[in-house]
Amino acid sequence: MTMKKSEQRDLFPGALEMMILRTLKRQPSHGYALVQHIKRTSDDLLQIEEGSLYPALQRLLKEELVKAEWGISATNRRVRIYKLTAAGAKHLERQVSSFEKMLEGITRVLARGES
Amino acid sequence: MSWLKQLFSRRRVYNDLSDEIREHLEEKIEELVGAGMSRKEAAGAARREFGNATLIENDSRDVWRWPSLEDFLTDIRFGARMLRKNPGFTAVAVLTLALGIGANTALFSVIDAVLLRPLPFHDPGRLVAVHSVDLKDANQGGEISYPSFLDWRTRTRSFEAMSVWSTMGFAYTGGDQPESVPGAMVSANLFSVLGVSPVIGRSFTQTEDNPSSDQLPVILSFEFWQSHFGSDPSVLGRALSLDNQKFSVVGVMPPRFQFPVQRNRVELWITIARDLQGKSALALQRDVSYLQVIARLKTGVQIPQAQSDVLLVQDQLNHQYPETRPRGATINLESEQIAGAMRQVLLILLGAVGFVLLIACANVASLLLARSTVRQREFTVRAALGASRWMIIRQLLTESLLLAMAGGALGLLLAHWATGALVAMTPEGLARTSEIALDFRVLGFAFLVALVTGVLFGLAPAIQASRFDLNRCLGANGRGVSAGRGGVRLRSVLVASQLAIAFVLLTGAGLLLHSFNRLQHVYPGFRADHVLTFLLDVPSDRHPRAQRAIFVQQLLQATRALPGVKSASAIFGLPLSEAQSIFTALEVEGHPVPRSQRPRVAFRIVESEYFHVMGIPLLQGRTFTARDEQGGPPLAIINETLARQMFKGENPVGHRIKPSISFGDSDEAPLREIVGVIADVKSGSIGGKIPPEVYAPQTPVDFIGEMTVVVRTMNDPDALIPAMRSLVSSMDKELPLRQVKTLDQYVSGSISAPRFDALLLGIFAALAFVLTTIGLYGVISYSVVQRTREMGIRIALGAQRGSISRMVVREGVLLTVAGVGAGLLMSLLAVQLLRGLLFGIGATDPATFIAVPLLLMAVALVASYVPARRATRVDPIVALRCD
Repeated sequence: MTMKKSEQRDLFPGALEMMILRTLKRQPSHGYALVQHIKRTSDDLLQIEEGSLYPALQRLLKEELVKAEWGISATNRRVRIYKLTAAGAKHLERQVSSFEKMLEGITRVLARGES
Repeated sequence: MSWLKQLFSRRRVYNDLSDEIREHLEEKIEELVGAGMSRKEAAGAARREFGNATLIENDSRDVWRWPSLEDFLTDIRFGARMLRKNPGFTAVAVLTLALGIGANTALFSVIDAVLLRPLPFHDPGRLVAVHSVDLKDANQGGEISYPSFLDWRTRTRSFEAMSVWSTMGFAYTGGDQPESVPGAMVSANLFSVLGVSPVIGRSFTQTEDNPSSDQLPVILSFEFWQSHFGSDPSVLGRALSLDNQKFSVVGVMPPRFQFPVQRNRVELWITIARDLQGKSALALQRDVSYLQVIARLKTGVQIPQAQSDVLLVQDQLNHQYPETRPRGATINLESEQIAGAMRQVLLILLGAVGFVLLIACANVASLLLARSTVRQREFTVRAALGASRWMIIRQLLTESLLLAMAGGALGLLLAHWATGALVAMTPEGLARTSEIALDFRVLGFAFLVALVTGVLFGLAPAIQASRFDLNRCLGANGRGVSAGRGGVRLRSVLVASQLAIAFVLLTGAGLLLHSFNRLQHVYPGFRADHVLTFLLDVPSDRHPRAQRAIFVQQLLQATRALPGVKSASAIFGLPLSEAQSIFTALEVEGHPVPRSQRPRVAFRIVESEYFHVMGIPLLQGRTFTARDEQGGPPLAIINETLARQMFKGENPVGHRIKPSISFGDSDEAPLREIVGVIADVKSGSIGGKIPPEVYAPQTPVDFIGEMTVVVRTMNDPDALIPAMRSLVSSMDKELPLRQVKTLDQYVSGSISAPRFDALLLGIFAALAFVLTTIGLYGVISYSVVQRTREMGIRIALGAQRGSISRMVVREGVLLTVAGVGAGLLMSLLAVQLLRGLLFGIGATDPATFIAVPLLLMAVALVASYVPARRATRVDPIVALRCD
């Protein structure tokens, strides 16, 4: 229980969802592939519990930003493949742009503080 | 996706999720195995990387849920499963709660109907009863004379309107056979004081208070209209014969309308005009106080203000008419007036039954505490799996509420049954009992009580149970040693409190039962068994004045000839009955006293056989004879009390007295010669004081139309009723028998209120007592079970079995002493409330205050001794071996 709390501190709310959507925009994939991709791409800078992906995926499913279908993976496994919906794509755009603004703001403040 | 669709597709969503997570882990494991790990290592690593799969799956499911409601439902499902798994515990707890909640609900249904529900009149908070009080004789009821009432009405300023009323039985002749119909005589403005209008026709008009040459108006109850006129809409204007006077129907009141609000229904209303007819009419006399007053306060006027207003006016009247006895006045809310003395009793009983519920709660709390120690392991495992402390408390509270609701449901069933019994038991004077029902208000009450109860008995054990050290409990083989001790302490406090409360209830019940027992053994002064009584109102038009006494004598003669009849007689003013009584001022010849200073005596008229039929012994002189009934010089027999008060040891026989009451055409009350002294009779109430009484013989002159016939029978007096009816009907086919009752019924009716109080408090105390005993036994035997290992060690080390059992018994005795001590202190305060209800014993009646502690101590000893014996039989080897 305590572990879970410190883990959550590493990501701000919505960050995981944003990364999932971005990854799915590149290409539809199943949960395992998704989390491996995120870990690999971040060069393991982000400490993500693999399981934490699933509650996030359920939230996205519920808000109909992604949809899921059972299928067969490249490694011939039965997997559930997630796809970005149109609404999801729009949501991603909005999130990314607001995130970039926020990041820029934070960066400026941090830079000013140094000088 | 709509919420409805979500609800139905949820199972698939959950299945997908579980599959997905399983596949994920599989894929990871395969990959790791591919990288050279053993399968077992890979499985561990995959799980570590993934995190707590159960928790994650649960969090993922949460996305689709309505969190609080669904947690609640889950808790309920789980709770219900736990309760089903422990049927013994559940049955005991539910039954205990059902008794507590049921008793409370049943009593509440009575209190709600009798005290709480507003009167069915307009703005009942402003309706008040105004009493006229005899300053010299507080025992007189609050009646007023009509002339004084008119002065009150015109001279006071605090009231919007004021009205008189008086109930009476009418001989109604119009149906198939003569019938006695209860009715009321009221001021014409009564219905506007109450703010209720007839559904058919009109109210009385102001002028209808005055006598008139036309037929006087009458208003019918809806129910009487239905039963006697078949709901005929053309009833208005119909003539009704009441006591041989024609009245004209002007209106019908709404369904269920009743005034006065009292136990016995009233079916019709006439105006005071009837008593204003003729020269010496009752309502014209300032000394004849026989009317009750109801009034509506002006907005903003408070009762004390109104009371001083009335007192001021009454003071003027006292000065203006020095000949009449001086009077005062008091005002009560009409709603409180109706419940009368029962109000306090019912509130005391409500307190008592509340205590019973508290004891029931303590018992169930105690059971839960014991069980939570057993369930420690379950909680520990749940906590280890990630349940927060709040989740555990919530789960336990849900179980408590489930128990409470089950108890409440069963309690409602009990209450449904008990309410019927309660209504049958309610004392005769209690009004509005017909409104007692298990309606939505009562259901709501039961639900609320169950809810509060659930939290009350569930919270402490839940908090106690959730307080544990996870590591220690898991390590210590699941035996929460420390948590157990805390529970025992709490349970000890609970049991001591139960004992204290039970003590208070037992003392109260003991006092009331003792007092009631005394009442029951009071000899009323006459032999009440095997006597049938009924009231005859001999009408004056069919039976000329001089003939009416003869009519009664003929009837009695015929009655004595009936099979199964031992003797028969008649009296005006039967003791303990609701028949009219006359109280009048008395003067002794040769001792002149101003009129307003004269003592008041009860005046009764008897047929010569009366004392013989009733078994009232003659003390001095002689009784009346048949010759006395022919007429001649006026005579009197006085009772013991009057002889003592007025003649102080002197022989009263031969003296002459003058009760201020006259019959026939003379205005002057006659002097009566005392011929005998008769033993006292409890005439007003069994527990009350005996007034000085004067008996006069029934003669053609000294006769009041209303006579109660008393018939002593050989067998069951009720069996004589049909024969009596046909006999009376054969002599006057329009004459109804009224108030047909046995003398025993009057005697038992006069102690119905103390019987109700004692019985109810007795039942509640018995409940409290049983529950407390169970509680005490439970605590002691549980503590023995918990200390089995300790006992085993003690025995193994050579402790005597006797000392072990003494140790256990001491524990019980200590608890009892603490509880009894606290209870004694509380009782000394509580019994002050009962002071007014006791007859023949004090509030600190030694018998009760000795018996109750002894009883509790004895039972405590037994309750402790049984587990103590079990403790001595502990086999040290078994005790030490068990985990």
